Amino acid sequence: MRRLWRSMPLRLALVLVVLFGTVSLLSLAASYAFTRAAFEQAIRDDLAQDLAGFRAAPTAGAVALLVQAESEDTDPGRLVLSYVTRSGRIYGNGAVARDDEGFHIISLEEGRATLDGEYLALSARLHGGRLTIARSRAEIEALRPVFFNILWISLLPTVLIALSGGLILARRSERHVEVVRNALEKLSGGDLGARVKTGPRWSDDLLGIGKAVNGMAEAQERSVTALRQVSSDIAHDLKTPVQRVSLRLEALAQVVDDGEAADLVAQTREEVDGIAAVFQALLQLAQVENGALKAQFASVDLADLCRTMVEVYEPTAAARKQRLSFDGPDSLQVDGEKNLLGQMIANLLENALRHTGEGAEICASLQYQYGRPVLSVRDNGPGIPAEELGRVTQRLYRLDRSRNTAGNGLGLSLVEGVARLHGAELSFEDAQPGLCVRIQFPSA
Amino acid sequence: MKILVIEDDVTTGTYIARGLREEGHVVDLVTDGHEGLVAATGGGHDVLIVDRMLPKVDGLTLVKTLRGAGNSTPTLFLTAMGSVEDRIGGLNAGADDYLVKPFAFGELSARVAALGRRPQAVEQETSLQAGDLTLDLLTRKVSREGQEIDLLPREFALLEFLLRRKGRVQTRTMLLEGVWDLSFDPMTNVVETHVSRLRAKVDKPFETELIKTVRGAGYRIDG
Repeated sequence: MRRLWRSMPLRLALVLVVLFGTVSLLSLAASYAFTRAAFEQAIRDDLAQDLAGFRAAPTAGAVALLVQAESEDTDPGRLVLSYVTRSGRIYGNGAVARDDEGFHIISLEEGRATLDGEYLALSARLHGGRLTIARSRAEIEALRPVFFNILWISLLPTVLIALSGGLILARRSERHVEVVRNALEKLSGGDLGARVKTGPRWSDDLLGIGKAVNGMAEAQERSVTALRQVSSDIAHDLKTPVQRVSLRLEALAQVVDDGEAADLVAQTREEVDGIAAVFQALLQLAQVENGALKAQFASVDLADLCRTMVEVYEPTAAARKQRLSFDGPDSLQVDGEKNLLGQMIANLLENALRHTGEGAEICASLQYQYGRPVLSVRDNGPGIPAEELGRVTQRLYRLDRSRNTAGNGLGLSLVEGVARLHGAELSFEDAQPGLCVRIQFPSA
Repeated sequence: MKILVIEDDVTTGTYIARGLREEGHVVDLVTDGHEGLVAATGGGHDVLIVDRMLPKVDGLTLVKTLRGAGNSTPTLFLTAMGSVEDRIGGLNAGADDYLVKPFAFGELSARVAALGRRPQAVEQETSLQAGDLTLDLLTRKVSREGQEIDLLPREFALLEFLLRRKGRVQTRTMLLEGVWDLSFDPMTNVVETHVSRLRAKVDKPFETELIKTVRGAGYRIDG
């Protein structure tokens, strides 16, 4: 909801509602004032006319008679006629009284109660007496609820429609922006096949952005595909001659007698195998960095895989008088590609075995930390000085490259690549003594 | 066995063909996908060896076409790319096994031999034997010359795997796939260390060697 409040269409709707509401209020207030003034003027004109009618009477007695006659069937709530003669007699259906609060009109019937409501009065001296005619302002006062009703009837639906419309538009535009964002996230995650799927109800500006994103993704995909084609072509072109060399060496090994020549052939075959291994590692690395493999992810039992890998390497460690163990739960499922995860664990274990001496202890462990599966391989070998640990991660790729020899593959680079592909973080810690490599998987 | 090799690189193809012929197989060699499709449809082959990248019709399409037409001849895919994606793609297309270039001939020959035996008859065996060695599948006990040999579970599995494929070479990668279910090749010689451990228990105390090393290929137990 908070995000929704920050959305552009809703803000626009709110601004428009406030603007429209203010303008409507102002114009209603103005027309109320005009109508009120016009009504008042009309009453004043009526009063003047009434007064003029009484002025036509020739004597005070005639005025008194007229007033009396007129007031007999006149509701004092609407019109009050009052004539006070010189002698102080009051004719009519009401009288004007005065106290500290101002003028009041008092009914002459039934106990002289003060009449409620406002009146507009006109008073004049006539034949020695005072004639007062007062007309009720109730009609004018009745305008107020009418105008309030107009206000509610016209403004409320407008505000409601504008607000809900804004809300709907905001929701929709948020959904559309979300679609664009998702596509962009997938693209930056390496899934170059991701596209913005626009709908028929999309606004033109978002449609434009969606099309631009798709155009960019297509261009990127094309160049990556071209690049991949080139690298697989290179691999194919180079692997074929390597294949021939390998097969010829094999044939050669069968015809040479034991001795120096046989040793040379054996050594050369090892070198050729090394070249093939580097090719393999490079291709695998390129593929891991591409991220398209995510489509083939399935549930993998990491605990089971670790146990198998430790078991596979255990005799190798034992032959070098090193101890290799695994500590973890019976089963721990993560989403991933089994062969790559296996290769990653293999590289970690080989790295530990290679960089520690006789009598070293290497322990692979798997556990949950803050709800995230963490795979770590700890050794008690020479390790890496604490101040260099950070730099190792930063320069991992280059460091590993410069150290790369046949058979070594692209060890840690591949570990880093596989970890990244699985959304996991690779870190190095000082195990005091030794090195601890940690791979923190995302929470399931 | 009658084997069809579809490989566009003539040098590699010739070597493969020559090697397989020396092992007593009958080999047809063709150099493009179209010819390969015609030859394979003609039938009569026990195993097909198909290169992934072929002129005219590529290997993947070729295998898919054959499988679509109901031809189920066991097929070994040769791939120069050798990445996980390619492997899955090849196996999905209907290939039975794959081999990454560059490969050793021993590896190819071992895998072709394994493919030629498919599908294996499901034998209700209770024990496996080789020479004077007996492996009891029910009691999971191994004995030789009447002496019981104590094996760890994985050593037992390794021995069982080799015994079940008696007389045929099993390469390092075949052992990794079959015994540990790992479809990649660890860098160091981990398989050798496992085999030498097994040998220390099964072969060393006795006069004759059961587990033979086949140079440049793998291991074999003879019957």
